[in-house]
Amino acid sequence: MNQTANFSDEPAFSPMAAILAWLWPGLGHISLGERKRGFLIMGGVLVLVIGGLLIGGFDAVDRKDDRLWFYAQALCGPIAFGADYINQNHLKSKPEPDQLKTRGLGKVNEIGTLYIALGGLMNLIVILDALQFMPKRESEQPEAAQSDEEAS
Amino acid sequence: MSVILGYIPFLHPLSAFHDLWYLLIVPLAFGISMIYKALRLTDLNRFWRQVGIMTLQIILGIIGLAIALLILVQMIIPALPGD
Repeated sequence: MNQTANFSDEPAFSPMAAILAWLWPGLGHISLGERKRGFLIMGGVLVLVIGGLLIGGFDAVDRKDDRLWFYAQALCGPIAFGADYINQNHLKSKPEPDQLKTRGLGKVNEIGTLYIALGGLMNLIVILDALQFMPKRESEQPEAAQSDEEAS
Repeated sequence: MSVILGYIPFLHPLSAFHDLWYLLIVPLAFGISMIYKALRLTDLNRFWRQVGIMTLQIILGIIGLAIALLILVQMIIPALPGD
């Protein structure tokens, strides 16, 4: 029996997988049957998003003051909108002296913002990959391993 | 020490890294490598090794760029003839 019979050379157009990939990073690939790949993608995006929130605090996501950065961060999905909601409604609504504790300044704020924005931009690639999905062959052929070396 | 004691994760920025900001390139490069390799590799059995290699490549690339910029700004530009 030919094991490669399920693989097509044409990428499958799957908008639902792309929507799921935006809703939660990696979910698009999991829905397409690439379970392990999906969890690894999820881990990678969450390293960037949670890392950015740990470094810069919720202030690293700011729809009003850092609008251009937020466009990139929004590609992470509802996590970015949730972080912005907390920042706008719970942190920035406090009196000015209390805000000094939660407001990120200097490099820490910049790097936290950058982490989440890069997480969003990498998730855009994930979304596009899920949208035009082409299953990757986990074959035992030596060519697969060779192409992995070339990819690095 | 007092900076760390008052730190509440996610609410307060991690000010302890204010002077060590350049170390934060390591988890950034690691996260980017994880996503890229998860998408690119056909054989995921070699995933973590490939992620480690790519993380190292990014960090060495950034260090190389930093050295090149240092040479340009500190040595080449000052040596150029002025007006």
